This record gives sequence, structure tokens and C-alpha cells, in this order.
Amino acid sequence: MTAGPPYTIVLGVIGADCHSVGNKILDAFFTDAGFRVVNLGVMVSRDEFIDAAIESDARAILVSSLYGHGEIDCVGLRERCIERGLGSVLLYAGGNLVVGKRPFAEIEAKFKAMGFDRVFPPSVDLHAAAALLRADIEEAVHART
Amino acid sequence: MPAPRWAVCVDIGSTFTKGAVFGFEHGEGRVAARAETPTTAADLARGFETVRAELLRLARANEPGFAAEDAIVRFSSSARGGLRIAAIGIVPDLTLAVARLAAASAGGKIVKSFAYTLTAADVAAIEALDPDIVLLTGGTDGGDEKHNLANAAALAGARISSTIIYAGNRTARDAVAGILAGKRCIAVDNVMPEVGAVQVEPAREAVRRVFLATIVEGKGLAALAASLGVAPKPTPLAVFELVRALSEECPEWRDVCVLDIGGATTDCYSAVEPFRGEPGVVLHGIREPRLTRTVEGDCGLRVSAEALFESGRALIERELGSPPLEILAFAVYIGLVARYPAYLAAEARETRFDAIMARTCAALALRRHAGVLRTVYTAGGKAWVQRGKDLRAVRRVIGTGGYLARIAEEDFLARALAALVPEPEERFLVPEAPVLYADRNHVVPLIGSLAAEYPREAARLLAQSLRPVAGDVAQERDRRP
Repeated sequence: MTAGPPYTIVLGVIGADCHSVGNKILDAFFTDAGFRVVNLGVMVSRDEFIDAAIESDARAILVSSLYGHGEIDCVGLRERCIERGLGSVLLYAGGNLVVGKRPFAEIEAKFKAMGFDRVFPPSVDLHAAAALLRADIEEAVHART
Repeated sequence: MPAPRWAVCVDIGSTFTKGAVFGFEHGEGRVAARAETPTTAADLARGFETVRAELLRLARANEPGFAAEDAIVRFSSSARGGLRIAAIGIVPDLTLAVARLAAASAGGKIVKSFAYTLTAADVAAIEALDPDIVLLTGGTDGGDEKHNLANAAALAGARISSTIIYAGNRTARDAVAGILAGKRCIAVDNVMPEVGAVQVEPAREAVRRVFLATIVEGKGLAALAASLGVAPKPTPLAVFELVRALSEECPEWRDVCVLDIGGATTDCYSAVEPFRGEPGVVLHGIREPRLTRTVEGDCGLRVSAEALFESGRALIERELGSPPLEILAFAVYIGLVARYPAYLAAEARETRFDAIMARTCAALALRRHAGVLRTVYTAGGKAWVQRGKDLRAVRRVIGTGGYLARIAEEDFLARALAALVPEPEERFLVPEAPVLYADRNHVVPLIGSLAAEYPREAARLLAQSLRPVAGDVAQERDRRP
């Protein structure tokens, strides 16, 4: 699909969330889009995301959350990445991130304040998301070099 | 390969050199002779020859059809305390955990392990230990390289005579080999090619090759191997291969553990499906292989008694009960046996202390070998996260080593396992209601040296020679349909 180097990304559903269908769709889609996907599946802890990103030298961690508690689960993920030497890894979050109906702009602002680089609502054009991801990774790679 | 008519097997241990002659006929095996002598540390071949001569004498005297020239000779050795390995990985729960698993499964003794990037102090510690092997791992294939390159550079400058086995990210292999060009270095396939995926065979094979090249040097083993035309196996590897053969060849022993409680360590081997995949259960972390070995350096009845008292303090105190004098007496006994490892319990109280120590060794070794199941409350109801290996399906545990081979305690395993108290919402995945089988004839490591070549005969011979421990017989009978 998208041409370019096979950047490694870590994928998973955070916290006590066992919604696996979307996770499998993302895995298939991003693999097809030319990424090297390390899929940790469901009920993944913050440290498991970071452990996998360290070993696989991932450029981005994509956190899904469907059950509404994403906000609590994601607090401190960026700080933990920094503590563990992954300060520059890209953090994406997407799904039903909070409980109740709140304007998406508010949710996005909240997650960006928590250190996430991109935040996505439940419905998203995956092609656009993949293009954004690739562009963000390349920008980060160039910034480093 | 058809089984030989006779096999002379010898195991050179750190204290005793033991041997047996096994006879095979129509696919059935039996013990035809046994002998042992104290190990001759300065020249291991001397003790070996003493045992072999005695075995041949006994076999000739008692077995009319025996002819030494028809017998094959195989031997194993744990002399020098085994192969000392320092394990290096990146993340403790990922590559370092797999490196430790690979080292233990190859029969090595992990003297120290290191995560992330080696510091100057870490390098100094490795220099002080000067292990036989440094197992350098890290990164998935195509993953992290910088830790490996930094660690290789640190090792390149270290004053060590160790062989370095590189079993990390294959993308970094050539660069690592280049950095370590001045050292003895073997590069093999990655122990964790993908996150959570475990591949220990290539590293294990490399460890075995190093064992042959280093342990066999000196102490008379090289000449012995040359004259016999066969190389020794590390004793734990012989047992490992025997567990594999037993599990593969004898259906009733498919799911099995072997527990070896010694003076210095407790070894635990298991052959069982590591993850049952029940509904609602998710496996996290590494997926362990069906066949694994772990070694607990702080679980021993003599040399490691003091370490056991520290690691298993809660379990031991619960067993001893409340009288403070009893704990004091236990502490005194621990000091005594650690100082005089050959000491044998002389009275009832000391026998009880030995039993408490053995149960604690068994409990800790099984708990650490096994995984944990944690309950998670999700929006959709209860779910469970499994970490590590699920041993619940194991119904038979083989007890070997001095203490367990002689054991008469009816409910040894039940009591040992009952002492384990998990955290709330957690469950240890240890065997459920296992029956203990004792290696009464002390054949485990001896048959082990035949297991890779003659798996069926070795497995059957072992299965025949095992007996359920007295009190467990009733349980076993009740379980039969």
C-alpha cells in the first residue's frame, strides 16, 4: 500500500480492556500498509508497551481503548517512556477514550496534554491515519539525524 | 537406531561418580549393575575408571550373557559445578528472561544477569566472575541494536577468558562479531526473534558446544572422551533430554515435572503445554517452550541452606509454628549444615528441619518455574491474564537427587504446595494434586545420557523404575477409572 521503510510500531489495547476485534483490524491494516507491527493484543499494561518498544526499537506506540477508561490507563505513559529512555517515541491513542459523550476536541486536548502526539476518535479513516503515522515517523527520524 | 544390548552409563558428579549397566532386550530395559565411588576431583578419569571396572566386574559375575565389547559407554558430568553463565538482555521480562531460560535449559548455572546497557561496575563484576560463557542477547530481529553494540564494546574491553555467545538481534550480528573479533565469540540465531516469541535451541546448542570445548579441557576428561570416542554431556542436559524423551515416548508421562533437590540448588524441569488457551485467559510476556528447566541457586539443603532460610523465611516460619526457640534451633541447624555439607540429620528434630527445608525448596522451585494467573475485572466481566507457564495439567512429579529419591513422606508435595499463598486475585499455576514418583534406583541422570540417541528405550526404562511415594499410592489408585 504505502511505499517506504518498514517502520516498527507497537500496537495494543491498554488496561483491563479485552476488545480484540478492532485490534486485529489495526494489526492487519498497518501490516498491509508496510509497517512492522508488534501486536501485544488486549489487556496490555503501560510497561508492556514500553518493554516491547525497547526490544523492537519501535518508532511509535499505538494505544487503543474501547471501554471508556482510557484516560485513567494512559495517565503517565509519556512520563514512563521518558523514565525508561523512550522519550522520543511517538504516542498515538484512539478509540472510545473516555466515558460519556464529550466533544472530541476536548478529549484530544486532554490526551495531548498527557503527552500523546495524535489522538483519534472511534471512527477514523485508517489510510489517513497510516499516512500521518508515516509522516510523523519520518519527521522524527529526520529531526534526530 | 536399535538399542544396544548393554549400556554402561556413568555420571561424574561433584561429590560422587555413579554408574549403572543397563540391559536391553525386546525393547525392555533393566538395571543390571550399579556402582559408585567418590569423585576424584584432580583427575576425573580415575573415579570414572574405578566405577567402570566395578560395573564390568558385577555385570560379568551376574549376567551370563554380558560381554563388555557389546556394551556402549556414555557419560555425563556436572564436575566443577557445571557451566557458569552470565546472561545479558535488554528488558528483564523479555530478552533477559529468555536468555536465562536458554542458559538454564542448556544445563548452565546462571552466575549473574544484566539488563539494558552494561555499566563499568557490571563489567567489573563479569571480570571478577570470569564465567565460562557470557550469553549476550537483546532486541528482536530488526529491532534494537544500540544496547547490543554498547554491550559488545564493553565486553570487548573486559579482561575475561569467557566464550561470548551472541544470540540477539540478527541485524546487529555482523557488527557485534566485528567488535568482539578479539574474543572467543559464537553468533547464533536470536533467542527472541519477535516480541514474546522464544527460540532457545540455537543458543542451547552453542552452550553445549562450549561445554565440550571448555569443561572437557583438563581434569582428565579430554583423554577420557578421546579414549571412549564419545564426549560427555552436561548432567542437567542429560536430564533435560530424558524429560523430553519421557514426555514424547510414554503417553501417561506426557505432562511431567522433575524436581531435583540438592545441597546447593533445586532444579525443576517440566514438559507440558505452557498455555491452555481457555476462554477469557490472555497470555502476556514470553511464551515459554513446552520443555523448560529452571535452577534455583538459593534453594538447597546444605551449601545453600542459609540462602534458603532468607528466601523462604515466611514459609519456613509458618511450618515451624510460633515457639521462638524452634526458629532459633532451626537457624542453628541451618548454620551447621551450611558449614558441614556432609552432615546428616541425627535426631527427629533435625530430620523434621530437613523435611521443612526440602518442602520449602520444592515450593519455591515450583512456584518460580510456574506462571501466575491474575484476575482482571473488565467491563465485560471477569478475565484472566496469564504470565509464565501453566503447570496445572502436570499430574506426575518425579523426585530425584539424594533427598527425594529416598523420600517416604506421604504428602510431601501436597504440603509443600499448600504452603504457597498467592496475592488476592492471583493464582500460582503449579501442578494440581500431583503424585510424587521417587527415583529410588537413582537412574535419572544415568539413563539421561542415553536419551538423545535411544529416546524410547531410555523413557521406558525410566517409567518402569519409578514408584509413587508410599502414601501417594492410594491417591493414584483412586484416580484410576
